[in-house]
Amino acid sequence: MDSIINVGVAKIEVATKPAVLRTILGSCVGICIYDRMKKVGGLAHILLPNWVKDGVKEKYADTAIPLLINQLLKMGCTREFMSAKIAGGASMFRFGGNLTLGQIGERNIEVARKVLAEKNIPIVAEDVGGNCGRVLDFFLEDGRMKIKAAGHEKIYYKV
Amino acid sequence: MQISIKERVESVINNLDQLPSIPEVVGKVINMVNDPNVDFRLIAQEISKDQAITTNLLKLCNSAYFSKGKEITSLDRAIVTLGIKEVKDAVMVVATKAVLNRAILGYDLQRGMLWEHNLAVAVLAKQIALEKKDRTIADIAFTGGIIHDVGKTVLALFVQSAFKEILAKVETEGISFQQAERSILGYDHQEVGERILSKWKFPQILKDIVRYHHQPEQAPEEHRKIVSYVHVANSICLMGGIGIGSDGLYHELSEVAIKLIGITDEELNRFYAEIPEIVQKLKGLNF
Repeated sequence: MDSIINVGVAKIEVATKPAVLRTILGSCVGICIYDRMKKVGGLAHILLPNWVKDGVKEKYADTAIPLLINQLLKMGCTREFMSAKIAGGASMFRFGGNLTLGQIGERNIEVARKVLAEKNIPIVAEDVGGNCGRVLDFFLEDGRMKIKAAGHEKIYYKV
Repeated sequence: MQISIKERVESVINNLDQLPSIPEVVGKVINMVNDPNVDFRLIAQEISKDQAITTNLLKLCNSAYFSKGKEITSLDRAIVTLGIKEVKDAVMVVATKAVLNRAILGYDLQRGMLWEHNLAVAVLAKQIALEKKDRTIADIAFTGGIIHDVGKTVLALFVQSAFKEILAKVETEGISFQQAERSILGYDHQEVGERILSKWKFPQILKDIVRYHHQPEQAPEEHRKIVSYVHVANSICLMGGIGIGSDGLYHELSEVAIKLIGITDEELNRFYAEIPEIVQKLKGLNF
């Protein structure tokens, strides 16, 4: 039996095979980074795009991703073998008025992409946007990401 | 002849025995608290008739969320220290856990997820009401938050068997999940929830919260504001993934609710950003 580690909102977890990292996403984005040689990976569950003063760094895409990468480097991972998968960033079906709250999902996706690009970590799969909630399972034995959304399952194998 | 799914839903919700039960004392306490002239000792007496509720209630009153520091060892002390409204909210938490803390299959909620969601909505709805200086009804926002989705516990099996149809209707007609539920099953989880609350003999204000939490604009005017607090808290928690299930974010955020409670874009963003802290607070609601 795989050991499932639940990753809460605004948390980062790093683990090695055969662990499975699981998180549940609405407008939040889950960023999975995997070192295919070492078979070590980590998951950051971010709530918002950009860090604000005094904020908990794990909450924001632009501060959580560097933290995640550092934790992986400390576990002996190498940047050149790392790849990323991202999921989440849904928005509410219909939104009252011109509220920016409705755009958080999209902005989370945008900033996650940008920060990963700056860190030279390629995104090999994305399952983002729409109105669905997602259950994300990140399998560290081979780096695959399983997404369950609206009753359907999809598996992304590329690492 | 095959019985249609609408008829099956109808027969379940018209049969009181098939709807979930909670200890009788809860309905009594809620109605007693509503009465401004009630004698607190009578409420304590009523609660104490149920030993299991009393034991868990005292534990919960000493938990991090409710505790005011001093240890509470009796119902009388609980009412004096916390106030009758807080004690009523604590009774609700203790009494509804058995009904809400289970896997809700058709909505794809694992055991514990609906419970966490309802508590989070309760805590956040109360917080919003307090920040909007609506002190007198903040406790009702909490109570309503706990039970707003109770109808899902009954409707889940039907949602499971008709899930593909419901989702197809959402996508082709551009309606919300709950509207599609209603169209295909004859009832949505709000109406089923209202039936359950009738069985529990809960007051109208709580029935209205359960019945209209997705469409606060349709709630009777006298209760529209309290429904709006729960509606907004529910939307924010779902966006944060707290208790998001197969119905996803196929919901609407009501402009009427936003205007009625006078919540700004900035405040909405701040409440959303505080979700991790709210989840942390829930850990202090243990018994």
